[in-house]
Amino acid sequence: MESLRIPILKIGDILIASIQVNLHDASAVQFKDDLLEKIHATRAKGVIIDLTALDLVDSFIGRLIADIAAMAGLMGSRVVITGLQPAVAITLVELGLELPRVITALNLEKGLSVLQGITAESGDGAA
Amino acid sequence: MGQPKSAVIRSDLDIVIARTMARDMARALGFSAIDQARIATAVSELARNIYLYAGTGTVTVREVEKLGRKGIEIVCEDQGPGIPDIDLVMQDGYTTSRGMGMGLPGARRLMDDFSIQSQVGVGTKIVLRKWRS
Ligand SMILES: Nc1ncnc2c1ncn2[C@@H]1O[C@H](COP(=O)(O)OP(=O)(O)O)[C@@H](O)[C@H]1O
Ligand SMILES: [Mg+2]
Repeated sequence: MESLRIPILKIGDILIASIQVNLHDASAVQFKDDLLEKIHATRAKGVIIDLTALDLVDSFIGRLIADIAAMAGLMGSRVVITGLQPAVAITLVELGLELPRVITALNLEKGLSVLQGITAESGDGAA
Repeated sequence: MGQPKSAVIRSDLDIVIARTMARDMARALGFSAIDQARIATAVSELARNIYLYAGTGTVTVREVEKLGRKGIEIVCEDQGPGIPDIDLVMQDGYTTSRGMGMGLPGARRLMDDFSIQSQVGVGTKIVLRKWRS
């Protein structure tokens, strides 16, 4: 079966993707590939992955998110995860995945300001 | 008590079907949102193990009762290669597939009861239970 494509929007130099589907493994991997290609093509400085609609993060998806953050980092782009539901956050920690190197924010709006803070700090656009 | 429900695992799509089935039953039995997430996540891990290591198998969910307490029971069964050393695979981070090695130990932490039987060349059977508070 063909995997569902997750749309990736570009606003300024930030990419935003909202995971809305009950993700199966193939579409999750497709999303990682699409996102990394789009980071490369657009030279985005930051990425927000909004998980508000996700009702579960298992070790496969958790691993994928950690991989995306690490790979995007190598390409000079910072990833912020937003909208993790309380039940999902609790389950992730109990499962044993704390994603220590992934930046998280409560919601999209806070995620955007976190990213703006980071990209300003890194001296982009300085004379 | 309601009828047990089963899902055959053959592809990654069946992992989604199995965990949705478990969540739906957990919700119908009155489990909290957090317990629903715990149950669905444990099933997702074990269904993926069936898919990855045995190729095919089944996940069955049913309502159970003990001393007047209601719960959910999940049986994950396959006729795959079996597990030679159960203590080893129950350790955090142990994997033979470059996974995270958190599926089995994580599922045990997420549930109240966890038992595993496995025989090399015969298959693996894991029974999980969670009791409603
Ligand atoms: N149903 C199964 N049949 C055979 N081996 C299994 C099965 N489930 C798990 N295993 C073995 O146990 C190991 C640990 O599983 P798990 O904790 O889910 O971590 P991971 O799947 O990330 O490797 C697997 O790498 C595999 O070798
Ligand atoms: Mg696993």
